Amino acid sequence: MDPTQPFATAIAVQGDRIVGVGDREDFLDFPQTEVDERFGNKILLPGFVEAHSHVMSGALWEFPYVGFYERSDPTGRVWSGCQDVDSVLQRLIQCDQEMVDPDQTLVAWGLDPIFLQGERLVAKHLDQVSTKRPIFVFHASGHLATVNSEMMRQSGIDQHTPTPGVAKDDSGVPNGELQEPAAMSLASDGLATIFIAMMSSEAKWSYALEARNCGVTTAADLGTTRLAMEGQLEAWRQATDDPQYPIRVVVAFGNFGSDGTPANIRDMAEKAVHLREHEESAKLRFGIVKIVLDGSIQGFTARISHPHYLDPPPGHPGNGLWLIPPEQMPDIVSAYHQAGLTVHCHCNGDEAAQVFIDAVDAALQTHPREDHRHTVQHCQLTTEQQYKKMSELGMNANIFANHIFYWGDQHATITVGSPRAEKMDGCATAEREGVKFSIHSDAPITPMGQLHTIWCAVNRLTASGNILGPEERIGVHKALQACTIDAAHQLLMDNEIGSLENGKLADFTVLESDPYEVEPEELKNIQVWGTVVGGVPFQAGSQ
Amino acid sequence: MGHSSGRRSLSSGITVTKLVDLYDSPMEVTVIGGYLGAGKTTLVNHLLSQATEVIAVLINDFGEINIDDKLVDSADENTITLTNGCICCSLADGYSKALDDVAKRNPRPTRLVIEASGVADPAAVAAYGHAPGMALNAVAVVADSVNLIQQLADPLVGQTVRSQLAAADVILLNKTDLAPETETVRTELDRFNSDALLVECVHSRIDLDLLFGSEVSKVPKASEAVGEYESRCHRSNQPIPRDALVELIERLPEQVQRAKGIVRVAEEPQIPMVFQLVGRRWELRALADRKNAPEGNQLVVIGPKGTVPLDWDRTLKVED
Repeated sequence: MDPTQPFATAIAVQGDRIVGVGDREDFLDFPQTEVDERFGNKILLPGFVEAHSHVMSGALWEFPYVGFYERSDPTGRVWSGCQDVDSVLQRLIQCDQEMVDPDQTLVAWGLDPIFLQGERLVAKHLDQVSTKRPIFVFHASGHLATVNSEMMRQSGIDQHTPTPGVAKDDSGVPNGELQEPAAMSLASDGLATIFIAMMSSEAKWSYALEARNCGVTTAADLGTTRLAMEGQLEAWRQATDDPQYPIRVVVAFGNFGSDGTPANIRDMAEKAVHLREHEESAKLRFGIVKIVLDGSIQGFTARISHPHYLDPPPGHPGNGLWLIPPEQMPDIVSAYHQAGLTVHCHCNGDEAAQVFIDAVDAALQTHPREDHRHTVQHCQLTTEQQYKKMSELGMNANIFANHIFYWGDQHATITVGSPRAEKMDGCATAEREGVKFSIHSDAPITPMGQLHTIWCAVNRLTASGNILGPEERIGVHKALQACTIDAAHQLLMDNEIGSLENGKLADFTVLESDPYEVEPEELKNIQVWGTVVGGVPFQAGSQ
Repeated sequence: MGHSSGRRSLSSGITVTKLVDLYDSPMEVTVIGGYLGAGKTTLVNHLLSQATEVIAVLINDFGEINIDDKLVDSADENTITLTNGCICCSLADGYSKALDDVAKRNPRPTRLVIEASGVADPAAVAAYGHAPGMALNAVAVVADSVNLIQQLADPLVGQTVRSQLAAADVILLNKTDLAPETETVRTELDRFNSDALLVECVHSRIDLDLLFGSEVSKVPKASEAVGEYESRCHRSNQPIPRDALVELIERLPEQVQRAKGIVRVAEEPQIPMVFQLVGRRWELRALADRKNAPEGNQLVVIGPKGTVPLDWDRTLKVED
């Protein structure tokens, strides 16, 4: 990704830094040089940077996976997809038999009923797995859970339970599906088990191993960790200080519990600045603030402009939800901006993106600041005009390219319709308008895997095999830039990582074949050997 | 066939309510919604200073809470404890944690007030009011009478404001001292929610008995803003067919915004049920303490003076 030296055959490393890039002969006269041939027949790239993921991505692997698509866990074990209700039950029966404590709750995750043919999975199915132990199956969306009769019995869920979201059959008996947090929280034992796992130290490790397995050397935990919560900063420090911890982590400061008043935001900003100035180490970085402004497009909760949603579910109000009052955004952005921080704002819908862009514009009018790198996250419906403005303002984009594969078909037929779906996650538009951008998985929303994300941006193939918006496809080189140097740029680390240059950290992604050589359709199938982080090799799939 | 007509009384509502409170004491939950700047936090300040029971309040705008220092017993980053026993907890760490903390309090609060954020749908927040040991009482939405029309027409936030109002059992039309007239606003509100009880107020000052509706004995004293109230009572022994109860509710004059009691439903006569009506929303749920439940049916309705007909409970009479 160093344009003055796009290719080389050898790289010299001293300690954790790169000291030379070229050919083997260039370094033979370096004093005390050891030649390391182990990657002689492999491809070294600047380490992949996943600029939008969440630490709980790893934590969920403490529980059995029952999702539709095949997925690999942090140990490298491949979990086949559960393609029907029966295979979900078979997997749960196996887990039930392996559990020693007969009273322990069986928690599973990843269920996505949209993809499963036939009758919807409910309590009576889960009762085939066990009528003695509680079972809690967390859906892929994060908005639903399905539980068995024993879980309902222990949680006091019955025909008299008035909580909205407790789905009931025609005779008024709860069928085991709990919709949205208030209903899920009734089965508090199941939900609490997941939350505890998410905040654990183990989660920080499994997140890193999952990242390593797909060749990622730096990942951003974008506003998941409640850094103000006791022990969280220490847990991150402890994990990342371990020489065996295989990635660098940028832990974004989440705008949690902020009430939007200027005094409160200034206070939050101070805490974020303190972290950046006093708590950073080689593999732990701060300086990014994460704000969430709207919902999701597939959940019909993103704020999108007229004519809004194509075919929303009955009772939908027409447009999505604001998570922050739009008129508070100028104050919020301005406070973090003035503190010298970089704001990354979740904007799935174009209406949300506009509110954020306007807030950045206003902040820059009153407090001009070069190189702020404020970033629109997700950018799913960001328009050409918006990219133009972002370019003028020096803003960055992080585009949710994986959506094209996972939900592209639904976007074309249900959420926004083909004409808008073809322009969704428009990497080519961002490139044309000169906006520096990255592409991301938002793991665990979609599986982490930069090669898959690159494949999405380059091919724009949906799950059904259609090319969605061919004009928005980008080239392999641009996609690789998006996952290396330009991702590093929006995480404020491009001076240290993102390209193979003298003085930068020796962080590499090690591949078995060359992404510039394979057919574009094959990009996602390239085997990952592993990574090198700070000169230390980490092989994928190892413990 | 037995005949049991409802004995009516203008004053015996107290007994019924006390019975309900005595035998079924889940923590009653009130959700306060409303758009940014409507006066939600002012309402929270008002009810904390006026409380005559132990109230726990969960709030988003923790920094904005402004309680007289003399009333503050202790305070830390997430909780303020008042000398009257009330507490105020931050929602910064999410609903689950806050609800858990409140449930563990000693003495146990009798009432929980949840302040939804300025963009939240209070109906979604209200779903937490059905957690074990809790019972949803009402969704109160505060509306800014000066800016409401403009907010409703705003392309960015109009839908948010409309959804909030539609979820309300009680609408506090606030800041009426700053509004030249409220007729236009009231007409507009009718379009989104003609069922909710509408109360005009200044500085979010509302009679807590009206907001919480638990101590109906005090309601006839009434708040300045809404005039005089009266209550009527029904007592009978035979289980009531569900249809008859539904018909009763449907026939109630629209001014009647509250009713409460304990009933036996004919379809499941062995289970004493709590009946609650707030605005147009009503629910029947099994009584928590079934062993010591009072016999028969006891219901009370409350409405502005002169609006509750003498034969309001005629559908409950069992004919010979």
